[in-house]
Amino acid sequence: MSMKKFVAVVAAVITATGMVGCSVDRSKPDAAKQTIRIAYQTFPSGDLIVKNNKWLEQALPDYNIKWTKFDSGADVNTAFIAKQVDFGALGSSPIARGLSAPLNIDYSVAFILDVAGDNEALVARNGSGIETIADLKGKRVATPFASTAHYSLLAALALNGLSASDVQLIDLQPQAILAAWERGDIAAAYSWLPTLDQLEKSGKVLVTSRELADKGKPTLDLATVSNSFAKDNPKVVDIWRQQQARALTEIKEDPAAAAKAVAAEIGLSPDEVAGQLKKAVFLTPEQVASPEWLGTDGAPGNLAANLEAASQFLAEQKQIPEPAPLSVFQNALYTRGLPDAITG
Amino acid sequence: MSVFVDVAPPPDAATDRAAQGATAWQGWLTRIALPVLSLLVFFGVWQLAAASEIWNQTFVPYPSTVWRAFIQVSTVHDGVRGYAGYLLPEHLYMTLRRVFAGVVIGVAIGVVLGLLMGSIPWFRSILEPWLTFLRALPPLAYFFLLIIWLGIDEAPKVTLLALAALPPTAVATTAAVVAAPVGLVEAARALGASKWQVIRDVVIPSALPETFTGIRLAVGMAYSSVVAAELFNGIPGIGGLVKDASNYNNTPVVLVGIFAIGISGLVIDGLLRTVERRAVPWRGKV
Repeated sequence: MSMKKFVAVVAAVITATGMVGCSVDRSKPDAAKQTIRIAYQTFPSGDLIVKNNKWLEQALPDYNIKWTKFDSGADVNTAFIAKQVDFGALGSSPIARGLSAPLNIDYSVAFILDVAGDNEALVARNGSGIETIADLKGKRVATPFASTAHYSLLAALALNGLSASDVQLIDLQPQAILAAWERGDIAAAYSWLPTLDQLEKSGKVLVTSRELADKGKPTLDLATVSNSFAKDNPKVVDIWRQQQARALTEIKEDPAAAAKAVAAEIGLSPDEVAGQLKKAVFLTPEQVASPEWLGTDGAPGNLAANLEAASQFLAEQKQIPEPAPLSVFQNALYTRGLPDAITG
Repeated sequence: MSVFVDVAPPPDAATDRAAQGATAWQGWLTRIALPVLSLLVFFGVWQLAAASEIWNQTFVPYPSTVWRAFIQVSTVHDGVRGYAGYLLPEHLYMTLRRVFAGVVIGVAIGVVLGLLMGSIPWFRSILEPWLTFLRALPPLAYFFLLIIWLGIDEAPKVTLLALAALPPTAVATTAAVVAAPVGLVEAARALGASKWQVIRDVVIPSALPETFTGIRLAVGMAYSSVVAAELFNGIPGIGGLVKDASNYNNTPVVLVGIFAIGISGLVIDGLLRTVERRAVPWRGKV
């Protein structure tokens, strides 16, 4: 190799290494501080309010906070298995899967972000001739598989005496549902906002997640904390829960500010987000720490039974070998210091 | 999928019987023993990696777990049919059917475009930027558009696979046509052949070996786009199976799907090589 070529190669290598180093990440972690790694998703929730307002960063100035966006509960589960995150936001269905064998993820449910209400629903397309859930027999119904909507759809079918094999289930993400809907490729879909708004314009709502919750099949968005992190940093978990409780209170008391913060995170207009926040069910901190949901220190709440039901359901769907017992889910509710820790 | 070009082994100059025996032995060793040995080492390392329990079972399951998943996906057990209601061969059949349809369409258009681009310079100038543009696009980037335009059934999947197979065929064919030996072309012209006769009797035969390499590349490209093509409504289908199982962190079934794709890819490539040897026996001899 000639000297000229050699210099060129060296220069190229140096440039490449330098470019790998320059990322567009604007958060500058301070090496001297411990880092708290949070996996968040972009469904409207208090989690996004906490993130947007930097409440956690203000309440925990001695820590680096690293927020990472995830697109599905399955990915958040993978990140927990790999021990790459400390806190995570995910649906009740992925959590039931994560707590059951073979995953047995070492995390606990530390907060309830929201309960699915009218923001998730089963809609039949106008002109498909479907008036009730029983009419779905043999029709094509789309939903994003492995999501809470998938769980709700199968629960709705079961409540009406249909099994999954009685309808043609199709795995589509919400934006693809909309495309297939417009083209008339599907007769019905179980989806969530904002896609749901557009489906409702040319369809009939058959059932919403709020009605399924009333019938004992609620789906929830929960936040988990890794057990090893919670054991070493109970104070951090306390502060994190206080911020989550503060966000729930803000949704109730100052919905405009809440909508603005969420809107900034998910790129929709505050008006649209305000409508979405109205349709989901947000508990009060008192409700979160009530026997119906998380429960109190030493007395895990009914959420464990919900998760157990979800686990049984996954076993029936052959997605896990066998359901985990109730005790597993009771042990996985992080109730330390409740209710005072979040209502005080 | 490999793109290795078969090179005929040079004729053995040694007439010595002992030497010949040694060569046969060596040939057997490289052709059969080494691949088997590498397989054994692979499974051994895998077993050790799983048994060491450094990684969670979700990341590195035991070979036996994957084998059990394979059996479950391939049989009717406890009244459940395979995975998501279809057996493994049914998933594989649907995927192969889509790949076959996509490749046939993509290769047919690709070869025609390649012939035209190789013979007509201005046509090449018009089309080449578009082909390069298409080639640079990851299928995932435009698949959503295909869904909007073509729906959720077979059409968008086959179109995606055809779009993946088209550029390699077209590029290889163009290059092969351009590289047709000038001496032969001019000799044919001098003997009074028409332009069409030159293309038929000189250009196409000399371009065929290269085109076949392009086709094999195209099959590989289409095959590696299978998971993307079956991202929406992909069940039955191996790609749909892999995507669905990974949604549930079901690593053993994901690995079963990956092995099914990889092994069927090897088989298809082997078949293509055989066809290539039969169809273009003059490869490397022009």
